[in-house]
Amino acid sequence: RRPPARYKPPATETNPALEDPTPDYMNLLGMVFSMCGLMLKLKWCAWIAVYCSFISFANSRSSEDTKQMMSSFM
Amino acid sequence: MKNLYIFIVVLFIPWSFSLAKYDEFEDGDDIMEYDDNDFAEFEDVSEDTVTESPQRIITTEDDEEEATVELEGQDENQEDFDDADTQEGDTESEPYDDEEFEGYEEKPDASHSKNKDPITIVNVPAHLQNSWESYYMEILMVTGLLAYIMNYIIGKNKNNRLAHAWFNTHRELLESNFALVGDDGTNKEATSTGKLNQENEHIYNLWCSGRVCCEGMLIQLKFLKRQDLLNVLARMMRPASDQVQIKVTMNDEDMDTYVFAVGTRKALVRLQKEMQDLSEFCSDKPKSGAKYGLPDSLAILSEMGEVTEGMMDAKMIHFLTHYADKIDSVQFSDQFSGPKLMQEEGQLTKLPETKKTLLFTFNVPGSGNTSPKDMESLLPLMSMVIYSIDKAKKFRLNREGKQKADKNRARVEENFLKLTHVQRQEAAQSRREEKKRAEKERIMNEEDPEKQRRLEEAALRREQKKLEKKQMKMKQIKVKAM
Repeated sequence: RRPPARYKPPATETNPALEDPTPDYMNLLGMVFSMCGLMLKLKWCAWIAVYCSFISFANSRSSEDTKQMMSSFM
Repeated sequence: MKNLYIFIVVLFIPWSFSLAKYDEFEDGDDIMEYDDNDFAEFEDVSEDTVTESPQRIITTEDDEEEATVELEGQDENQEDFDDADTQEGDTESEPYDDEEFEGYEEKPDASHSKNKDPITIVNVPAHLQNSWESYYMEILMVTGLLAYIMNYIIGKNKNNRLAHAWFNTHRELLESNFALVGDDGTNKEATSTGKLNQENEHIYNLWCSGRVCCEGMLIQLKFLKRQDLLNVLARMMRPASDQVQIKVTMNDEDMDTYVFAVGTRKALVRLQKEMQDLSEFCSDKPKSGAKYGLPDSLAILSEMGEVTEGMMDAKMIHFLTHYADKIDSVQFSDQFSGPKLMQEEGQLTKLPETKKTLLFTFNVPGSGNTSPKDMESLLPLMSMVIYSIDKAKKFRLNREGKQKADKNRARVEENFLKLTHVQRQEAAQSRREEKKRAEKERIMNEEDPEKQRRLEEAALRREQKKLEKKQMKMKQIKVKAM
């Protein structure tokens, strides 16, 4: 049963980006809100931005850089 | 357009500033002065109370604006004092009659004492500032964040435990059937890592390979997003369950040409809409499997009746009936190319690539509240998968079936070609025009007039030949028609 043909695994992902856009959306929203909060001096905006970046981090794929995550937290 | 843009931007900036300033106004920052000017006409005592309350309002307000407000308030107070004489109460009592003050002696006294000592004004708000009340917003937010982080950690650990429980129960079966279990694609050679590959906090992959009939098998444990609090809350409204998705890629020679699917009715309807191959080859709606002894919850979609007959042997039926609640969908297809691609018109010039695959989607029992023990109940499903692989290899259509299958495939291809016929024509046309243009350019660029003339003549001759050919063709068609 076992034998022949060992193959190199693809480990290819067809389109993870297509299937779950949540982290990207959250990233974008977080940036928008943080800009709003800075410009218009609305504190609640800044808080929502922090929340968004947390959600984006929780949903992100492991293939993305941690550096990017940290910078998005900022 | 540009002017409009600039105009809008110019409007936006002061509007946002005015918004920001309005906040400050609300803090009662300038209200004292403001009110003074406004109400100066009305010799009301209420003016006095109004001036009192804004001061108090200032002190109980929150945030960073407090600091600025206080400073400004203090400044204005200073200004008032500087402007007026050092006699207290004069600044406020100027617009009033003395009579007005009779009933309100205390208040002016209070204001006197306050006005006397600016430092005390500052102290009062400072004291209030230190209390927790003024920070309720921050406390709320931080608590929320903490809750989110806690949930993240708990959810992540639970998913992790579930995945490893699954793997431990299935490890033996997999290792006995596959030479290579678990490979993440980073090593150059194929070595078995024997571990799950974690793609996400809620998705785990496992690639198995090295078996007779199949190229490989990719198992995806798609858990619920327990690490995301929003998702957890959403799930309370709409229950969902973890899923195990298995995709077996078959070798080309090991599977005959057919398309077949079985599963819950809802899943099949959805798949029929989404999947390219199911929508093209299986035209009927999902039929009930009751004919073969399957429970009502399951339905069948297949290309030909013969395929269903062949697939539904005793053991398969046994599997399907016993584990019907865990099965979401099972799809065998030799024309598998994934979900339908949404492409714009004019871009589709080639049929998508197809691979022979078997797809299984199982629901983990427990619908969200799974425990590691539930993973054991999925073990027989894995044996079903292995059995299906062998079966798919053994199953061969008879001659009739094969003819039908080939006809179907030819039909699908033809349809596709027809659809894209227009686009291909246009593409060919544009290519021809390009060639002509290139030719002309070459002729133009030729410096030598002699060569130019010769090239032009050559081009003319070619054109004439083409015309003649066309005429011949037309004549032939006419003759045939006659």
